[in-house]
Amino acid sequence: MLQFDILIVGAGGAGLYAALETSKRKGLSVAVLSKVYPTRSHTGAAQGGINAALGNVAPDSPEKHAYDTVKGSDFLADQDAVELMCEMAPKIIREMEHMGLPFSRLKDGRIAQRPFGGASFPRTCYAADKTGHVMLQTLYEQCLKNGVKFLNEWFLLSIVHNGERVSGVVAMDLRSGEIHGIRAKAVILATGGHARVYWNRTSNALGNTGDGTAAVLRAGLPLKDMEFVQFHPTGLRRTGILVTEGARGEGGYLINNKGERFMKKYAPEKMELAPRDMVSRAIETEIMEGRGFRDDEGNEFVYLDLRHLGRKKILERLPQIRELAIDFEGVDPIEEPIPVRPTAHYSMGGIDADKLGRTPIKGLYAAGECACISVHGANRLGGNSLLDIVVFGKLSGEDAINYVSEIGFAPFDESEVKREEERIDSLFSSDGKEKLVDLRSELSDVMSYGAGIFREEKKMKEALEKVREIKERAKHVKVYDGERTFNTNLQQTLEFLNLVEIAETIVLPALERKESRGAHYRTDYPKRDDENFLKHSVVERGEDGELRLSWKPVVITKYQPEERKY
Amino acid sequence: METAVLQVFRYDPEKDQAPYYKEYEVPVEGTLLNALLYIKDNLDPTLAFRAFCRSEVCGSCSMKVNGKTKLACKTPMKELVETWKGKPLRIEPLNHMKVIKDLVVDIDKPIEKMKTLIPWLVPDPRVVPTDPMHESIIYPEEMEAYKDQIHCMLCFSCYSACEAVADNERYRGPFAFSKAYRFQVDRRDIETAKEKRIRYAISGGLWSCVQCQKCLYVCPKGVKPAEDIQNLRGQAVKKGFTDKPGAKKLKHFVDWIYATGQINRLYLPEEVYGNKEAREKLTKAYTEMGVEVWEVPKPTKGLMKFRDIYLEILSKEDKALDLDYSHVRKIDKMVSDIFKADICTIVDKAHEEGRSSRGLISKLKGLLGGQ
Repeated sequence: MLQFDILIVGAGGAGLYAALETSKRKGLSVAVLSKVYPTRSHTGAAQGGINAALGNVAPDSPEKHAYDTVKGSDFLADQDAVELMCEMAPKIIREMEHMGLPFSRLKDGRIAQRPFGGASFPRTCYAADKTGHVMLQTLYEQCLKNGVKFLNEWFLLSIVHNGERVSGVVAMDLRSGEIHGIRAKAVILATGGHARVYWNRTSNALGNTGDGTAAVLRAGLPLKDMEFVQFHPTGLRRTGILVTEGARGEGGYLINNKGERFMKKYAPEKMELAPRDMVSRAIETEIMEGRGFRDDEGNEFVYLDLRHLGRKKILERLPQIRELAIDFEGVDPIEEPIPVRPTAHYSMGGIDADKLGRTPIKGLYAAGECACISVHGANRLGGNSLLDIVVFGKLSGEDAINYVSEIGFAPFDESEVKREEERIDSLFSSDGKEKLVDLRSELSDVMSYGAGIFREEKKMKEALEKVREIKERAKHVKVYDGERTFNTNLQQTLEFLNLVEIAETIVLPALERKESRGAHYRTDYPKRDDENFLKHSVVERGEDGELRLSWKPVVITKYQPEERKY
Repeated sequence: METAVLQVFRYDPEKDQAPYYKEYEVPVEGTLLNALLYIKDNLDPTLAFRAFCRSEVCGSCSMKVNGKTKLACKTPMKELVETWKGKPLRIEPLNHMKVIKDLVVDIDKPIEKMKTLIPWLVPDPRVVPTDPMHESIIYPEEMEAYKDQIHCMLCFSCYSACEAVADNERYRGPFAFSKAYRFQVDRRDIETAKEKRIRYAISGGLWSCVQCQKCLYVCPKGVKPAEDIQNLRGQAVKKGFTDKPGAKKLKHFVDWIYATGQINRLYLPEEVYGNKEAREKLTKAYTEMGVEVWEVPKPTKGLMKFRDIYLEILSKEDKALDLDYSHVRKIDKMVSDIFKADICTIVDKAHEEGRSSRGLISKLKGLLGGQ
């Protein structure tokens, strides 16, 4: 059996940072398991930047960063974790700069910073509009330098623990199709988000299917604040592909069919740079009230206008956005405005973890988008996710080192491997009465309908029922590719099953959270209700297979809840 | 709805004796990746290909369309149909890598090759602070030197299209040299690492590139490996790594052109490959064929002015240091010895006489033993 002191699952920013941290400690055996080659990870698609109070452009401080983050979160974030993250931000930015990360620079040679939504100061460090790409490449380079061991194209199936300590995972080597138990003293999950639940309209990669999150749920462990899903205001009209907030940070306008910068009605001060939840709702409201545009294919949208920024600025600061707009919309932003609409983007909720990434099971950590620490609360600020992944990747790596140096391997229950083999075998022999593509699309539609940007009791109840129905029908989905080698048909089926499990954990707490907070907006309860709901939702699956909902207090240090105005 | 036919390469080593092509009718809509996803969702779930971000940043979905390397998510179906005028579109895996299944190839080897070129920053403590309280100071204009290279997403399109990879197993591949070069021009990287990188690049086939420029055309991100390879070669020469034929050839060209205005075919085999007999054999052959042959060309009117212009051109390209003056002086001496006067006198004389140099066959005969 494969055996490592620390096994990291996922090779995006969080996984690679954890790996780098652990690679500095001699004598530890560490491996990074990932279903894609590390540089394919979705961190690479992050465009606009990463926040840190460097104060290079305007005086700034970690406290102000923390306040903006807490306010952006609609006061649901745990403030001790936010403070820790913001305090570490400048250091970790410089640490990555020292690794060679090519940040864009000011004339005087210091790291440049741009304005971003919900931030009081230009605080977002960037590398043109490819910040995530260069970050991922730089971290990967450093991992190669430090000789990190990679298990590329391995798929996580389940987490093995004994109710107290983690003992490893079960995973499939996609190339051979073989299923292996992997024993580890510590497992760090850095498996990314799950916005692919909204399959038909999302900025996410095809594989952002919450594999780690679903495995945690199956392992009987808690997920937190799952009802909070961020819809990014500016996805391209047809594909939902991301147009960075940096486009508005650089001064882009949002325009309705009356030619108005409609954000003046919703956030008179911050305008286009209000937090994402507000801007997304504003765009949808404009469309619903007939002030959007509609094309021949029936797509509805508003315009993101960059023309006034001028050719030079667009080419220099937003080259990738221009390329994507040309390739996917046939629109050159230098000449024409870009048609956009909100797109499912980011999972604020996830695996319940503390500020060192620890879950209730000893040795099991979660970091990055799959985790809910929680630093984003009910709404994440742009530029805080790249920060979150590196900070908590690093911290969980550090803590895991300490943990494994004092402890041996926990016994590994090999029947877990057998159970996974049986689960997979059953997919080959299913009756095939249901089609994966149809169910995936139905799931997406019902989630957008019931757990989208605007929510209400009736729709959510319908959605919950429908999701449960899809879950039943999913038992009839069949894997048609009968071979073991690189079976992407099997992989897409496993991913879909993960999405189905996650969908239920989003709708259930959404239904019970009878207030509006951040990205969770209910037309039937349009106000925030601190008295009853200033608390985290926690979802677990019991022995009987039913979901159980409970609540957990929010950590408040010094920022008392106040009305959120921009 | 308009449709097109894709002939997709299929091969499952587990069950297929040999690869075959399977035809699928797909809508002409969106990108090639959309077409492949359409096949997987609606026609044939067994088809294997890699895809992830679907927005041109992750580099997963590179493949060949009628022999041309393409990133599937960046290739509109309409464009393909127009380019190939209704002909079937043959979709195949990338070259030079083992097929795992259908369009999925084994990319471990090119990654291993890249690793040998130190594709990471080795910080110079004089530039990069060692504590996390300070940043290195890097001016925006310095970053111009590597602004394209940082876009490389390891899609291996260039590796697949490369002539040198086809010829030479050890050749690291275009992208690998671009990844390496990116650090050669980063001031934060320490000189000793730069030196090593050049050494490893040379043993990794730096001089094997034939400058066919294919890498440059297939890169979906505008990286220009062929240019980076030329620049690495320039660095190699500058750093004194001149013992490879490629470096010697470059040196021969640069020095002889500066010294005499042209390359020297008689000396080239000796200076580049160390073949000491070649000069004699060539001279003999030329003479027998009745071809006029000069051991060194007689300096002509305007040579000194030409040298100024040549030096100016090299300086503009930041290549002035490629000139090896001791070698130039040797050539000058050779000229003086043969013409019994120093180079300036000869040039002046040519100027006075207003005529160019003539053949030296008799002189050469004398030098080569009076044949």
